[in-house]
Amino acid sequence: MARQWKAFRWWILAWVALTLAGAVAIARLELAQLKDAFETNARIMHRLLSQRVVQHDAILATLALLQPGPDGPADAAPEQRLPALYPQILSAQRRDREAAWSDPAMASAEATSRQLRRANLADLDFASGRYQLVLAAQPASYALTIDLRAMVPWAEWPLEPASSPVRVVLEHSGQQFVLQPGRLAPGGWRFEFHKHLAADSQAFDVVATQTVGWAELPWGRMALWALVLAAVLAWARHGLRQRAERSRAEELLRLGQVARLNTLGELAAGMAHELNQPLTAVMASAQAARRLLDDDPPELDTARQAMAQAVEQARRASDVVGRLRRAIERPDLSGQTQALDLVEAVRRALYLLEPECQRRGVAPVIEAPQPVTVLAEPVALEQIIHNLLMNALQALEHAPADRRLTLTVDANGSSGRLQVADTGPGIAPEVLSRIFEPFFSTRTGGLGLGLSLCETLATNMGGALTAAPNESHGALFTLTLPCQPQTP
Amino acid sequence: MNPAAPTPAGSAPLSPLIHLIDDDAAVRDSLALLIGTVGLRVQTWADPMAFIDGFDRQGIGAIVLDVRMPGISGLTVLDTLAAQGVDQPVIMLTGHGTVEMCRRAFKSGAAEFLEKPVNDEQLLEALQNAVRQHVRSRERHQADRRARERYAHLSEREREVLGLIVAGLTNKEIGRALDLSPRTVETHRANLFAKLEAESLAQLIRHYAALVETP
Repeated sequence: MARQWKAFRWWILAWVALTLAGAVAIARLELAQLKDAFETNARIMHRLLSQRVVQHDAILATLALLQPGPDGPADAAPEQRLPALYPQILSAQRRDREAAWSDPAMASAEATSRQLRRANLADLDFASGRYQLVLAAQPASYALTIDLRAMVPWAEWPLEPASSPVRVVLEHSGQQFVLQPGRLAPGGWRFEFHKHLAADSQAFDVVATQTVGWAELPWGRMALWALVLAAVLAWARHGLRQRAERSRAEELLRLGQVARLNTLGELAAGMAHELNQPLTAVMASAQAARRLLDDDPPELDTARQAMAQAVEQARRASDVVGRLRRAIERPDLSGQTQALDLVEAVRRALYLLEPECQRRGVAPVIEAPQPVTVLAEPVALEQIIHNLLMNALQALEHAPADRRLTLTVDANGSSGRLQVADTGPGIAPEVLSRIFEPFFSTRTGGLGLGLSLCETLATNMGGALTAAPNESHGALFTLTLPCQPQTP
Repeated sequence: MNPAAPTPAGSAPLSPLIHLIDDDAAVRDSLALLIGTVGLRVQTWADPMAFIDGFDRQGIGAIVLDVRMPGISGLTVLDTLAAQGVDQPVIMLTGHGTVEMCRRAFKSGAAEFLEKPVNDEQLLEALQNAVRQHVRSRERHQADRRARERYAHLSEREREVLGLIVAGLTNKEIGRALDLSPRTVETHRANLFAKLEAESLAQLIRHYAALVETP
């Protein structure tokens, strides 16, 4: 039990280790995918915003370039039409040649713009979401007031601003404007993106941030992996155990046969000694008596004494035989029978003899039209079937071709019947009458106990075992066993 | 069937005694009776250990030993006897002898290996052979011992002379080799023959050559 638990513990450990490794891999893959998507989106947002600010530069440059000459109509102010065309442009201002900006900050920004030869930020108010851009030009300079929120091309925006977990912020000189709030959480993993917009005049920093919390990991997939792994390991373990059990069963069977042979050998040795002692005494006494009688004159008294001893020892030998018989006498099996499926018993015996069949190239055929239940003692029944099959297989070894082994199971009223038919050399008629005698064998080295034992077992269970020639050639053994309790 | 009384050491070398060791009383008695019919005396032992401790090692005879006995195997008894230098021939009896068992028995010095139930002629012939062999070997040993005793009585000079006689030298040659006059050599030679009770040169060489060569 403890050993079993120990082995089971290794399986559990393997499962835990593989589950962890798989879960880490799944999480890393998921995080990599999330990061990829995040960075793609951030680049798209950066590009969209950059296009807009570049557009602002272009609008100012166009105004400066196309401004009406000194002779032009003074009231011609094309810049005033801009807010209608561009929703992000709240207003446009023009400073004519002699005029001055009302706001001194504008004047300073214009001066810088002139110096830099490009548009310049005049006022930056991220808190109210707007900024002013000035371009110094001749004769008039222009300024645009731009709304940050209207500047974003929401139609093309890759994320849903209200629900997206990504926080997007524009930063410039310490001020922040939140384009979308996102959902940032402490802990877990954090992706960040920083890039200035592609216009020097409005080089706002685009900062995108996303956090992935523990709860957002793909727990479902990880759980699925754990389950699949558990199933695979359980299946593998089951397979291995089944294989081990089968080989153990075969080993046990082999051991059982060896043990039986050893027991038999020991029995024979013991019997030889037990019988040899009195036989030695009988022989020595009788031989001594003969010599004493041959003497001249014969020593009658001693010879008589020797003969008495011989008789005594012969009786002792016969006692040994009687004791031996009582010792190995099998108990009456009729009281221990139980209902058994005969077909199933045949299948099991065949399963165990599968290697023997394969070695001889024999494919046994079972003909069992209906289930047959007989009353038998399981071990005795198994032994009978096993011996009959082994006999048939050994007989088939001597058949050059057409090696057939047919097992027929049927019922006939009150008894079930198993017929084992082989196409081996068959049984010679003079042998047929002696085939169930103990110590009678046609095989060299055979003990001649197998069939004798089977017949005794069958009889003890209220059945019978008979032998006959098979229809064409070979031998046919018929085992009959009662189907229902026999009334005594 | 009454075990004969053990004979005093060396007193009756020509009245052989057979020691029969078997744990089975019936086998012991019947075999003893059978062996007795050819005039051999038998002493039976039920316990192999008692036999090892108590049997007369000086006596002439043979040992009949059963292989299968409780407590100690006949083969072990055989080994013990060999290790103790027992010179009585041993005949092994067994109920079912294997080739291996037989091989081991002969390797340990068994004279014969017989299967039970044993044929009377085989057993008796084996016993008589064994006894004859033992008597001969004892006689040889005794002659050797006597020769050694006589040899011990020789003087240093006489031994030298004997060595040269055995080597095939003439009196004259011996005298030259030992720087003695042929007369003195002749005297030593006469003493030698008297002390060693040798009647001819051939007898002298046969009995004493081995002693001279391995001083």
